[in-house]
Amino acid sequence: MSRDLTVTRQMIGADLLRLRKKRGFMALVLAVVLAPLVIWTGYQVIEHASNPAAYGPAGGLDHFGKMLSLLGVFMGPVAAVLIGAEAGAGDLAAGVFRDNVLTGRSRMALFLSRIPAALAVTFAVIGIGYAFGLAVTFGFAGGLATPSLSVVLEGALWLALANGVVCVIAVGLACLTGSRPGTITALIGWELILSPMLVQSSSLGSARNGLLDGVLLFLKPGPVQGPVLTMAVAVAVAVTMLWAAVLPALGAWRMQTRDA
Amino acid sequence: MQAIHANQHHDGPALETDGLTKRFGERLAVDAVSLSVPRGTAYGFLGHNGAGKTTLIRMLLGLTRASAGSASVLGLPVPARRAQALARVGAIVEEPSFYPHLTGRENLKVAAAVRGPETRARIDQVLHRVGLDKRADDRVRTYSLGMRQRLGVARCLLSDPELLLLDEPMNGLDPGGMLDMRRMIRALVEEEGRTVFVSSHLLDEVEKTCDVAAIIDRGRVIAQGSIDELVADGAGELVIECDDATRAAELLAAESTVRELRVEHGALRMRLLAPEQAGEINARLVGAGVAVTRLEPVRHSLEERFLEMTTRLEVAA
Repeated sequence: MSRDLTVTRQMIGADLLRLRKKRGFMALVLAVVLAPLVIWTGYQVIEHASNPAAYGPAGGLDHFGKMLSLLGVFMGPVAAVLIGAEAGAGDLAAGVFRDNVLTGRSRMALFLSRIPAALAVTFAVIGIGYAFGLAVTFGFAGGLATPSLSVVLEGALWLALANGVVCVIAVGLACLTGSRPGTITALIGWELILSPMLVQSSSLGSARNGLLDGVLLFLKPGPVQGPVLTMAVAVAVAVTMLWAAVLPALGAWRMQTRDA
Repeated sequence: MQAIHANQHHDGPALETDGLTKRFGERLAVDAVSLSVPRGTAYGFLGHNGAGKTTLIRMLLGLTRASAGSASVLGLPVPARRAQALARVGAIVEEPSFYPHLTGRENLKVAAAVRGPETRARIDQVLHRVGLDKRADDRVRTYSLGMRQRLGVARCLLSDPELLLLDEPMNGLDPGGMLDMRRMIRALVEEEGRTVFVSSHLLDEVEKTCDVAAIIDRGRVIAQGSIDELVADGAGELVIECDDATRAAELLAAESTVRELRVEHGALRMRLLAPEQAGEINARLVGAGVAVTRLEPVRHSLEERFLEMTTRLEVAA
């Protein structure tokens, strides 16, 4: 039992190593998360400095809410997709999958080790973005209200949920398709274009409750921006779990059957 | 280098197949192959490209299912007990692949994590074993093909395997790289007692590297045995140089033990019923006053034998 745990820990560590050592990729992922935050914050700081009467401080509760949306609905998920796709299909792209299979290790174990590694990298990257956002929220609040500690913690948990689910979906889809570019294109297209459009389409009614974006916006703490769906929390949890389970399950199945 | 691990409780062949067959639709890729690979040998598996070598290796490793027949690896039936068998096997199929952005050492760390905790301690040892200790911390994308092949062997050795299956390990290597690989394979067999199964289409390299070989052609094993046995089919063939080849030919034409006598480039070539009759032939010529300046049994190279056999089959087909 302890040997199995050691093997599991080492396999996760190995997947983590291959992700974090891809320096160009890590720089890109960090840039995806941080660059919009930095540009947006800088713009607000300059605006406020140039005309304080017309433009409020860059920080405060409003900034916090928008920052959460940016990290949990837009750029954070993009980073999560990039990380999940790399974690899910990186060994196939490098041709190492066959060598891993040749060790006799179960393919399920090979699949499962990717998920915690991908989540660890995703949480680290989103954590850096969140830390920056919080520094601006509090550091540039001026006289504006700031979020309470509980809201800050809720925000962290929500970001972990929102990006974690997207990351796990990306791992599953990448394992299913075996293609990083395909996974990235499909999921970013879905996350940034199709899903937001569908959430905004009131003609879809309660069918929107099945959309991950809709559920995540419903669960989002802090100030509300844009349309928020109404649903029972149990429904929101069930929909989130379904999204987090279906594609990884398909990815795991494909890993079992894929020709090495 | 540590000797192979203590759990060698199996004394039979390292690899055994019985009527192993693989069909892709109508095409028969491997046709009822029966092999027995003795332990502690370098075993060459020779064949043209597309002859079925890689397909057979993939079946042995449980990467693809056989259409018929059975196989065992280190005494364990595959695919039924594939995981246990592969824990004691190191293999490179087609070409070794690595994460190019990681160093050689980091790639081995990743492989060791999948293999099991005890393999991690062997990383430095295997890097030294394949002569990559000085380049271990360079990224693999900077490695030559020969270095990648050696890193592939290092990855195989992580689990201290009893058996290594190397699919075309000489492919693309320059002469220096081939020599390194040959020496490494010999050392793995002679110094460490491992069994190395090498598939290749490079006949000369197999002849120089392996003790035993099988020849596969269009999915069928057409010959197997020690390298000496495989090339010995030319035994009994003799070349003689003397001061008067025409007269010598007349003398020997009447000999009942001589077959296929001909004069080529001033020398006599013939096939004897038995190799030991060469002495009698020499005595006959000398006794008749012919000065023999050279008498040499003809030794075919494995390449000649291989081409002879496969050409014969082509003609028969």
